[in-house]
Amino acid sequence: MRYEIRVEGHVSETLAKAFPELDHVVMSGQTVLFGPVVDEAQLYGLLARCQSLGLRVVEMRQLPE
Amino acid sequence: MSDVAGAEKQGAGPTSPCVDPLGDPFLPASFAVPARPATFLRRDRLVSHLDQALRTPLTVVNGAAGAGKTLLAADWAAGLDRPVAWLTTDAVDQGPGMFWAYLIQALQASGTPVPPSVGKPSDTNRVDHMLLARLATHLSGCDPAVVLVLDEYDRVSAPEIADQLEFVLHHAGAGLHLILVSRTEPLLPLHRYRAAGAMTEIRGAELAFTPDEAATLLARHGLRLGATAVSALVARTQGWAAGLRLCALAALDSPDPALYLKEFEADRSTVADFLLAEVLKRQTAETQDLLLRVSVLERICPDLANALTGRGDAEPLLAGLHRENAFIEYDGHAWYRLHPLFGEILRAHLRVRSPGLEPELHRRAARWLRQSGFLSEMLAHGAAAGDWEFTAGALVEDLAIGQLLTGLRSAELAELFSRMGPEAESPATNLVRAARELSRSDLDRGLAHLHQAEEGLAEDAPGAAAARLSCSLLEVLAARLSGSPACAEEAAAAAGDLRREVPAHLLDKHPELIALLQTHLGSARLWAGRFEEARAALTTVAGRSGGAATALPREESLGHLALIDYLNGWPGRAERKALAAMSETDRLSRDPPSGSGIDRVVLAAVAVDRDDLAQAQSLLDAAADSPPALRDPVTETGRAIARARLLLARGHTQAALEAAEPDVPAAVVSPWAEGQTTLVASAVHLAEGRPEVAARILQTAPDDQLVCAVAAAQAQLAAGRPDVAVDLLDGAHPEGRAGPALTVRATLVRARAADMTGDSAGARRLLGHALIEARRERLRRPFLEAGPWLRPHLVTEPLQGLGAGWLTPGPPPPAAQSAAQVVEELSGRESDVLQRLAQMMSTEDIAADLYLSVNTVKTHLKSVYRKLGVNRRNDAVRRARALRLL
Repeated sequence: MRYEIRVEGHVSETLAKAFPELDHVVMSGQTVLFGPVVDEAQLYGLLARCQSLGLRVVEMRQLPE
Repeated sequence: MSDVAGAEKQGAGPTSPCVDPLGDPFLPASFAVPARPATFLRRDRLVSHLDQALRTPLTVVNGAAGAGKTLLAADWAAGLDRPVAWLTTDAVDQGPGMFWAYLIQALQASGTPVPPSVGKPSDTNRVDHMLLARLATHLSGCDPAVVLVLDEYDRVSAPEIADQLEFVLHHAGAGLHLILVSRTEPLLPLHRYRAAGAMTEIRGAELAFTPDEAATLLARHGLRLGATAVSALVARTQGWAAGLRLCALAALDSPDPALYLKEFEADRSTVADFLLAEVLKRQTAETQDLLLRVSVLERICPDLANALTGRGDAEPLLAGLHRENAFIEYDGHAWYRLHPLFGEILRAHLRVRSPGLEPELHRRAARWLRQSGFLSEMLAHGAAAGDWEFTAGALVEDLAIGQLLTGLRSAELAELFSRMGPEAESPATNLVRAARELSRSDLDRGLAHLHQAEEGLAEDAPGAAAARLSCSLLEVLAARLSGSPACAEEAAAAAGDLRREVPAHLLDKHPELIALLQTHLGSARLWAGRFEEARAALTTVAGRSGGAATALPREESLGHLALIDYLNGWPGRAERKALAAMSETDRLSRDPPSGSGIDRVVLAAVAVDRDDLAQAQSLLDAAADSPPALRDPVTETGRAIARARLLLARGHTQAALEAAEPDVPAAVVSPWAEGQTTLVASAVHLAEGRPEVAARILQTAPDDQLVCAVAAAQAQLAAGRPDVAVDLLDGAHPEGRAGPALTVRATLVRARAADMTGDSAGARRLLGHALIEARRERLRRPFLEAGPWLRPHLVTEPLQGLGAGWLTPGPPPPAAQSAAQVVEELSGRESDVLQRLAQMMSTEDIAADLYLSVNTVKTHLKSVYRKLGVNRRNDAVRRARALRLL
């Protein structure tokens, strides 16, 4: 499974290191984190990590393979 | 503030010796209502909304990290005119047992006494449903209702905890107001509470600061802004409390706050990320270094922080940060912690600035925690550092190896050490591996690791005594599992010497070590057939007053003592001990049993002797459904015998023969196990009409056992040689300890012999003895085994009277009595008690069976007597039968 998580604002390079398993790209006032997700447990883990970093999730979707 | 003072007073007072299921003291900070910082702004609209919590069973405060949830709840709680039980659940992410232990302690600490009868969870991962029911019942009677705040409830991840909370909340009724403070929506059926108007809800949008509130908050920080500037800031932060606070800190440090805030508004970075980096870079180099390094910690004290930085300035720095309300919260008990939001971001900064430093920080933390005696936190950091030699070494040196075996913490420890790779090579790591394998009854691997550990153990190494004592414990366990009594004795003797070499306070801290050792030794002695020596070892464990740490060895010891009683022919005593064994762990709410399950085996065997075959079957099935963790020869032989006896009673002779062979190998032959297996074989031959074969195989059986002599006599009787049978019995040495299950059978053989030789009067006299002796124990099986010759005798007086009601159907009720009606109907509980009375259970047995106190049972008995118009239990049963109440 591949997912992308879109969060509000520009995430700094330092903060992006909190998601070593994902790539990221900054665009138009948002940051897109994307990459492979092993299972649901990891998915919820990623969401929880966004929350503990104070990131506001705008969108999350599964990417076509 | 009265509640805070109350909590502190309790923490230092009589409740302080309280320990959690792991035997560690509760963290007092978990129960303290957090203090509000000087800049805290009370918002009346939220406080008055939260006041609704006193009118609904459930309140949920949801919002993002840093939204001000905790401070709102803390401020509200402090203003209440009654004590509030507060639990910050951060220390409690270890499973339901730990959660409920902390919750009950939170109630106690707030001055809401929880009676000891409610019980305490002993396993971190499980909690008994009965305990929750008792707790809910207790709470439902609380007036005024208990107010319980669970802060950081989002850290409770186990879904079953939500179910359990819902259960307690529902059954506590009006006695409990539960307030959940959480970042995520709790997994309770909120829609139902919402629909019923039974929930108060404060969500993120409501927590957000309005421009007016933001202006006041910023002013408290010393930042006065115009209305437009504040509105812009609120829009940028979306009213987020932590964002506003960081903003104020960052702006105040800058030369032109207004300009700075304009830049911040225009910036498009994420708010927390940007602001934290801003505030962090304004700190001194020492403070930045400190903040980054302590980000690996759950909680921080100055000395520990110094250990991580290698400097000595942590105390003023932490106090300063706390005063500034920048990143640090203070729990009022000498411990600080990072605001959870910043902890995560700081760790990200740490990884960027000092890659690879994290393991070293964990290692330093582990060493400091080890010296300061915080074993469980030490284990977590040691594991995070991947420093297995140190982590396992500390566990062994602390004499805590038994915790891998007792089931209390074993799951958690097993999880922790499962990450240990094969490269970690030290005696301690091998001991940990051996303990893990042996606790799963994997003898081969366990012994291999144990031998490696022994080889690596140097005599004079520091802490070698603790390692060797741990080694001895595992050797006794291995000896028990492999049925090698001699090895067990040898290791136990070595342990006896080593006990004097290790610090006494460690032995006191870990009572499970010696308790486990004695239990395993007792089991090995039992296997050898040395019942009295086994009893000596087991009694020291069973008789000690119990903490949670020794619940499992106590259960196991009582179970083994029960088996000894059963083998000696005392089913009543065996039953009482087996029930005590089960209640030992039930009260401490550990299910399913993580030991060998020997108590259920004994109960099943007793049930067969009483011809309660359905009960025996369900006990054996229950054991089969949840296979025991420990498979040792004593328990497995007991299980095989109970199963074979049950099959025999049902007439499945061939299946019984197969079932009688236990499939656990043992190093030495056990005399009683062999005797019992032979008995089943002879009984099968007898049942299939081959008395000569039965008599022949019994000749090989150990002749010092009365039970074998009785069986041999039975075979001789069946072969038509009553005189030989009586000679055999006369020649046996009936030891004084032989109980009714043996003597009743022996008496029945003599009675049959008398009957066969035409001495009818003698036969009846002996039968009378047998009936009187068996009646007390409700031993029905020997009479059913004895055969049809009994029946004509049993209808003659006085034998009929002796057998009536328990062996044969009771007398038909006299007409006059049956006409009389019960004046008052029996309650459900009274009927329960009466039914058990009819099964000849003692008051204590009934109490244990129904989970009631003995006094409650006595009260029920009195009402039963009154309603039935009788004064004695026998009359009560007779009368109840007459009235068809049974």
